[in-house]
Amino acid sequence: MRYLLRRVGFFLLTLWAALTLNFFLPHFMPGSPINTLRAQTKGRVSDAQLEQILTSFGYKPHANMFSQYFDYLGNMVTGNWGVSLGSSLGTPVSKLIGESLPWTLGLVGVTTVLAFLLGSLIGTIAAWRRGGVVDSVLPSVFVVTSALPYFVVGLFLILFMTIDNTWLPSSGNYDTSIVPGFSPGFVGSVVKYAALPALTLLITSIGGWVLTMRNNMITTLAEDYIRMGRAKGLSDRKVMLNYAARNAFLPNLSGFAMSIGFVLTGAILVEKIFNYPGLGYQLYNAVNSIDYPMMQTLFMLFTVAVLGALLICDLVTVWLDPRTRAKG
Amino acid sequence: MRRRKSSLLAIAVSIGLAASACASTKHTSDSNSGGSTAASSAGGSSTGTAASYKQGGTLTISNEQGQTWPCSFNPYNSSFNLESLGFVYEPLIYTNILQDAKETPMLASSYQWNADKTQITFTIRDGVKWSDGQPLTADDVAYTYNLMKQTPALDNYSLWSAAGLTSVTATGNQVTMAFKQNAQVYFYTFATLVGIVPKHIWSTGDAAAHPDTWTDPDPIGSGPYTVKCTPNNMEYTANPNFWQPGKPYVTKLEYPAYLDNSPANQDLASGKAQWGSQFITGIKSFYLSKSQDNHTWSPPVLNVSIIPNLDPSHAATSKLGVRQAIAYAIDKAKVSAIGEDGQQLPGNQSGVVTPTFTKFNDAGAISAAGYDKPDMAKAQAALAGAGYSPSNPLNLTIISIQGYTDWDASIAIIKDELKPLGINLTESSLTNQTYFDKLYKGDFDLAYGSQPSAGPSPYTELRAWLHSANTAPIGQSASAGNFERYKNPDVDKLLDSYATASSEDQQVSMIKQISTHMLQDLPFIPVTESADWFQYNTKNFGGWPTADNPYAQPSAYNFPDNEQVLLHLYYKPAQ
Repeated sequence: MRYLLRRVGFFLLTLWAALTLNFFLPHFMPGSPINTLRAQTKGRVSDAQLEQILTSFGYKPHANMFSQYFDYLGNMVTGNWGVSLGSSLGTPVSKLIGESLPWTLGLVGVTTVLAFLLGSLIGTIAAWRRGGVVDSVLPSVFVVTSALPYFVVGLFLILFMTIDNTWLPSSGNYDTSIVPGFSPGFVGSVVKYAALPALTLLITSIGGWVLTMRNNMITTLAEDYIRMGRAKGLSDRKVMLNYAARNAFLPNLSGFAMSIGFVLTGAILVEKIFNYPGLGYQLYNAVNSIDYPMMQTLFMLFTVAVLGALLICDLVTVWLDPRTRAKG
Repeated sequence: MRRRKSSLLAIAVSIGLAASACASTKHTSDSNSGGSTAASSAGGSSTGTAASYKQGGTLTISNEQGQTWPCSFNPYNSSFNLESLGFVYEPLIYTNILQDAKETPMLASSYQWNADKTQITFTIRDGVKWSDGQPLTADDVAYTYNLMKQTPALDNYSLWSAAGLTSVTATGNQVTMAFKQNAQVYFYTFATLVGIVPKHIWSTGDAAAHPDTWTDPDPIGSGPYTVKCTPNNMEYTANPNFWQPGKPYVTKLEYPAYLDNSPANQDLASGKAQWGSQFITGIKSFYLSKSQDNHTWSPPVLNVSIIPNLDPSHAATSKLGVRQAIAYAIDKAKVSAIGEDGQQLPGNQSGVVTPTFTKFNDAGAISAAGYDKPDMAKAQAALAGAGYSPSNPLNLTIISIQGYTDWDASIAIIKDELKPLGINLTESSLTNQTYFDKLYKGDFDLAYGSQPSAGPSPYTELRAWLHSANTAPIGQSASAGNFERYKNPDVDKLLDSYATASSEDQQVSMIKQISTHMLQDLPFIPVTESADWFQYNTKNFGGWPTADNPYAQPSAYNFPDNEQVLLHLYYKPAQ
C-alpha cells in the first residue's frame, strides 16, 4: 500500500513539475503571438490593435506571470483549455485537439500495436531458430532500420512511391473530394493516405521490438522449464509460444506501455513530412505560431499520457511480480 | 490461441461487410471535371467583362496556408478574412492597385467627398440582398462601422483612432462618415478593405454579445458565394441572391486546406486545381510545360530588399559608402533570373515598384545616380571611402527566413557578387519567429526582407519603410515598417503632405522627391520585386486577369480582389 501511495505521489509531483516547465518554457521562446498574427494580416493591422484582438481571446501579456501561472494550472486541471492564439485564432483548443486526435490515434496507435506484435513475433521466431536464416539476416537488418531517423525513411518512401511513380499519396489524410462518412470510398481513401506514414513508422520502430524480444527469448530458452517442456514431448510450436515466448514477452510489456504513452505525441516529424493533420502536426504549428494555449494543452496531454502509462505499468508490475513489493 | 485468432478474423470480416453494405462514396462535387474536351485557348487573355456567360463548373483553388481550415468566417478576425472577405462579405468600393487605383463601385453605387476631404458620403446600392434574402440597407453599413467603435478589438485598421473617424450615420440610402482631418489616404482602407456585415445577424445572440470572438460559422453575406466548411475543405456555392444577376458564372469553388507547398503545387501541375497562388520552384518544367493550358502571371507589388541597420551602433552598415558599394555591386537582373527563377522582376533603387507604379518612377534620376546597372568600379571606390577593401575585408551577416529557398538562392548570388569587393556575407537562416523578432528589434547588420502588404500607390510602402514615426530605438519593436531605423525630416514632411496633396500630379512629384532621398541615402536596397503569385489553367475556365487586362490582383489570397476575379471567371464547357 505504501508503495502504491509513493507511486501516485511521484506521479503527481512529476506532473506538477512538467506542467510548470510547460508554462514557463514557451514564454522564454523568441517572438510573440502578435508577430504571427501580423504576418497573417499582412501588416495591415496596427500593433496595438493586434494586441487588443489577442486580448479579447484571452492573451494577457501584461498580467502578473504568477497569477497567470496559477490560472493556467487551474485551467489545465479543469479542462478549461481556452482558445487558440495561433493560426486558428479563436478556435477552442479542445475542438482542434478533438479534430486531430482520431488521426493520430488511428495512425500512430495502430502502427505502434502492429509494430509491437509483428516485432515480437519475428523476434520469437529468430530466437527459436537461432543461427538459422531468419536469425542471421533479420536482426542485423533491424539494427539498421531501427537506427534510421523517421524523416530519412519518410523522404525515401516519398521519393520512390510518389515522385518517380504515383502509387500512393504522399500528403494529407484523405481525398478532399470525398465527403467524410462511413463509405467504402472514404475508408479506402483513409487507408491509402495512411499507408506511407504508417510504413515509415513501422520500418523505424519494428526493429527495437525484434531485438529485445529475441534477446529475452534467448535467455528464457536456457531455463530449465523449457528443457522440461521438451522432455515432456510437447510440440515445438507449443514450447516456443506457450513456454518461452509467454515469459519472454513480460519485460517487453512495460516497454510497450511506455510507447503507448508516447502515441499521443504522434511522431511529429512523420506527421510533418506527410502533412498528416494529427496532434504532432498541431504541436508543430503551435510552436511555429507561438500559440501558448495550444502548446500548453498539448504538452499537458503528452505528459499525462506518458506518466499515466508509466503509472499503470508500475501498478501492473506490482500486481504481477511479488518481488517488487518486497520492501513495501 | 487459435480460437481467438479466428474470432478476430470474423470481426474483421464483419467490419468489412458493414463497410461495403453502407451507402456508397459521396463526392463533394458532382460535376465531371475535365470530362469535356472544349478547345483550349492559348493566350487566355479574354476580356470577359462585356460578355455574359452561363453558370456552371467547379473551380479548385490551390493556395497553401499550412493549416487545416478553422471554419470561422468572422471578417473582423484578421486570421480569417482570407476565407470570408471577397467570397462572402463585400466592401463599398473596390480599388485596384494594379490599375492606378481604378475604382469599381460595389455595395456603394457612388460617393462624394466634401471640399477638404474630411467627410465622405456613400450612396448605398439599391436592391442588394443578403444571402438569407433580407435587403441590405445603409443602416447595415453604418452599423458595421459603428460596431468597430463600440468594440475596439474589431477596428482592425484603427479607423476610429489613427484615421480619425469621428462619426458614421445613415440617412435614407446614404451613409456619411466624418473625419478629424483630411482622410483621403485612408480611403483604400475604409472603402476597400472593410467587409460590410448584416445588422440583423450581428445585433442578436452570441454575435452581439462578443462580436470580437464570435466564430460566425455559417456566414450570411452579400457576396457571390455561400460557404460550407470542414477542416479539410471549404466549399463555396454560388449565392442565388447575389445582386449582379447571372453572376457568379462559376457555380462551385473547392478550397482544400494544404499543409505544405508541394501537394498544392502537385495539384496545380496535374490540373486538379486551376487557381494557384504560390511560388513554384522551376515553374517552367514543373508547371508550364505540363500543359499548354497552364499559365502564370505574377505582377510585382512590393520590394524585396537588403535592409541595412542604419543605427550608429552598427558601424559598417550605418556608413553610406558601404551601402553604396552594395547597391552598385549587385547585378539585380542576375539575382532575379537565377535566384527567383525569373518570376520576380529586378528592383530599382528609387523604391518604386515598376511596371505597376511606373507613373511615379523617375528612371532618369536612377541612371543619373548610377544605379541602373551594376558598376564594380564605383562600388570599389565607395567601399574604399568607407575604409574597406579586399585587403581589409568587411564581414557582415545577413538574416533571412528559414525555408524561403528562393531567398537563399538570391542571397548566394549576392554573396558571390560582393566577395571580390572585400565584403564577406554570411547568411543566417532563422525561423519565422526569431527572424521577425530580430528584424523588429533592430538586432541585425543586414536583413533580407520586404513589407507585408501593398497599397494603391507607392506611398503606402514608402511610408512604411521611411517615415520616422515607424521607427523605434534599437531593442524596441519597429514593427510598423521602418526596420532599418531611417530618420529624415524632409522625407517625413513629404510623406505627411502627400495625404493633403491637392492633385495627383502633386502626389507623383512628391513620390519622385522621396525617390531622390532614396538614391542619396540608400535607407534600404531593393533587389527584386515581390510578386503577387498567380498560376492559372485555361482549359475549362476563362476570364482570368492577365497582363493585358489586370482588372484585379490575381492571387487567391488577396481580398477583396479575389471577388473581382470570381466575378470574371466562367466555365467554358457550359457555354
